[in-house]
Amino acid sequence: MDRLLRQLSQLAITVFGIVTVTFFLVRMIPGDPAQYMLGDYATEEALATLRAQLGLDQPVYVQYGLYVLRAVTGDFGSSVVTGRPALEEILFSLPDSAILAFAGLVVAVVIGIPLGILTAERQGSWSDMLIMIVALFGISFPVFWLGLASVLLFSQELKWFPALGASSGGGLLTHLHHLVLPAGVLGISVAAYITRLTRSAMLEVLGQDCIRVARAMGVPERRVVWRLALKNALVPILAIVGVTFAWSLGSAILIEVVFSRPGIGSMILKAVSARDYQLVQAGVLVLAVAVVLVNSLLDLAYGLVDPRLSTR
Amino acid sequence: MDGINRKERAGRIERSGVNRRQFGTLLAAGALVAGGGWPLPASAAPPVLRVRIGSDIGNLDPARIFQIENQTVATQIFNGLVKYDEASNAIVPDLATGWEVSSDGTVYSFALRSGVTWHKGFGPFTSDDVKFSFERVLDPQTGSSYSGQLASIKSIETPSPDKVVITLKEPNSGFLHKVSAFNQGWIVSRKALGEIGDKAFALNPIGTGPFVFQNWAPGREVKLSANKDYFAGAPKVEEVQFRVIKDETAAAIALENGEIDIFFGLQQPEVIQRLKGGGLVTVHDRDANHTINLVLNTSIKPLGDVRVRQAIYHAINRKALIDGFFKGTKSEASGFLTSSFQEFTDQVPLFPYDPAKAKALLKEAGVGSFTLDLVAPGANPYDKIVVPIASDLAAVGIDAKIKVLERGAYLQARNKGTVPTCITGVVGAPDPDSPILSLFAKSSFPPGLNTAHYEGIEDLIAAARNAQGDAARKEVYGKIQAKVMGDVPVIPLYADHLYIAHTKKVSGFVQNSLFTMSAYPVSLLEA
Repeated sequence: MDRLLRQLSQLAITVFGIVTVTFFLVRMIPGDPAQYMLGDYATEEALATLRAQLGLDQPVYVQYGLYVLRAVTGDFGSSVVTGRPALEEILFSLPDSAILAFAGLVVAVVIGIPLGILTAERQGSWSDMLIMIVALFGISFPVFWLGLASVLLFSQELKWFPALGASSGGGLLTHLHHLVLPAGVLGISVAAYITRLTRSAMLEVLGQDCIRVARAMGVPERRVVWRLALKNALVPILAIVGVTFAWSLGSAILIEVVFSRPGIGSMILKAVSARDYQLVQAGVLVLAVAVVLVNSLLDLAYGLVDPRLSTR
Repeated sequence: MDGINRKERAGRIERSGVNRRQFGTLLAAGALVAGGGWPLPASAAPPVLRVRIGSDIGNLDPARIFQIENQTVATQIFNGLVKYDEASNAIVPDLATGWEVSSDGTVYSFALRSGVTWHKGFGPFTSDDVKFSFERVLDPQTGSSYSGQLASIKSIETPSPDKVVITLKEPNSGFLHKVSAFNQGWIVSRKALGEIGDKAFALNPIGTGPFVFQNWAPGREVKLSANKDYFAGAPKVEEVQFRVIKDETAAAIALENGEIDIFFGLQQPEVIQRLKGGGLVTVHDRDANHTINLVLNTSIKPLGDVRVRQAIYHAINRKALIDGFFKGTKSEASGFLTSSFQEFTDQVPLFPYDPAKAKALLKEAGVGSFTLDLVAPGANPYDKIVVPIASDLAAVGIDAKIKVLERGAYLQARNKGTVPTCITGVVGAPDPDSPILSLFAKSSFPPGLNTAHYEGIEDLIAAARNAQGDAARKEVYGKIQAKVMGDVPVIPLYADHLYIAHTKKVSGFVQNSLFTMSAYPVSLLEA
């Protein structure tokens, strides 16, 4: 119970800090939401009217105070461009982003962890070198490049998958069909990272005395690696997965642009260029909560993997 | 130590059999993930037209509308009193069946179409809606960007539901342009706005047009359904979906794969060439209503000297820019208007590429080497075309410094009016007043678009307003173009072209010059 309360208070402090930083950061960028909304031909009077309607004519600290007061009651303001509640608009896009990040992470874990174990086990062999080189390429290639290349290959040349990362209507199969390329690209770029870090974690464990003892006692190698070593290496691997989830959400912005997929990432991007302050704040808030929540869940999972950690 | 290492090595060799199997399984799994695709399903053929737009919509309220995506969607929903003929740009009836102008040019009487109804059961369209729409734009509380466009209106009377009489403060020969179906010219319903509310109307628009707004999924798409009761006859497609696809390469592949039907807002030269070369789709090309100009701030030294401005004009190799950077997808402009304006003339002073002459003019003006900031917004292609311009200027001894600013910062800098140069194009209707007043009238000094601080045509602007009849208008607008181009407050870098591509299934498409498109004449052929 204590632990849960501590986690929740940490969550609240983190989110408050992030929202505050975002609030002032977006207002430091030069530009005017009213100008963006009304366009090049807006008169000074029209701009002033809109600024007053949006409360942008008040000092920043007053705007901040009002924002925090409203946020406490669950009111995160309205989008400057569309006039709709900002949180509602962001939450509308949340499932799209969550599905992509989750699918990407599943691909990454399914590929990355076994390859990391394999290469650690076969350290120095040709397969280790080959996989590590491929993983290095995977990390080095920007995710948008991988995305574009996969569209050219799988959509344009082979015509296996649609070029657009989201379907308009259609059943589950259609949705999955549209998801394969974006999730695959995201997963592969993250998998490269997971492979390398899993390999390091496993190597460290495999070098420990307990493993030597187990081997000396004649425990079958498969059991040594997949049971004893993996269980010990699981905590750092879980930590990596937590970090890569945040990374997946970040990469998802690029993936969403390349594959023309709706989502929080592309929405925040659009909101930043429109100086749609409330929408940016709501977007960052939702992303921050998602990342903190996932990491908190993983913290709890550490306890299950390694009971020693749950008492800390 | 050595012994253990040997054992480990031996163990590795022993283990390799098992691992090879595991490795094989992994490879197979990887292959399944990477290559486990299935062919694209043959698209079903309900009469749904899928149109690509490059960015999301945000506001469809005609009083506040801005950006081509919003305007394109609104084109399907709203009508004006009159409209531009898609092919010829001539002004033709829309909600008005005809009009009369008083002999002094100040009273416009419009006879309205009867039997027109608003979408979603908001009742019949009447003259009161026209009055409401224009007065709403003029009301400072609305905060419309277009109130200036209707500023010449003195009063609006509605003697009967099918007649509206608009009295102007002074004659305005271009008044019909202001009430054409575009931006402030689109008519809204008094009843619908009253019930839906000003704010919500932006994304719940009610019009009289061929398509009815259904829903908007942020970041994804906008759906419109056919208005079966449309006064000119029901559209030939059941539904129009505007799908947000930002990346042009992805949109091109989607078009060739048949995932979309129409590619709106096609701009990248490489993508245009690719679609043209592929032969799988039809690519339309039309002169736009705007040129892209390098604006020279005449209030800043040494740009105040007309010879310096003319020298800069001579120094820039526009043809190389068009052939090289744009791969021939734009054309050379002789002035700030394009041939799609009925008032266009090419009888203006010309300043062909001639570095020697540029140097001579600079020498004559007594200007040695000087530094010039080239200020551009950080958006394709403006952030890129400044590079060859800077190198052209360097060749005649002008040290051009490129300053690319993010759009918000750029607008702010331009509105201050202190930037020595900027890049501006006035996109919109083929109404010559639009670019002329925006770019060259004293009333548009910053924060307006007259960043040049040019005031050489105030008398001609007044004369243009009073010119009655096509010939008189052509003459005075010709004079304006000649005077401005001789004074060089702006250098037209190129005349823009509009490209739209569609699949072979699309039939009846007509491209306009407004940077919008109409889905109304389109039908979809059976595959």
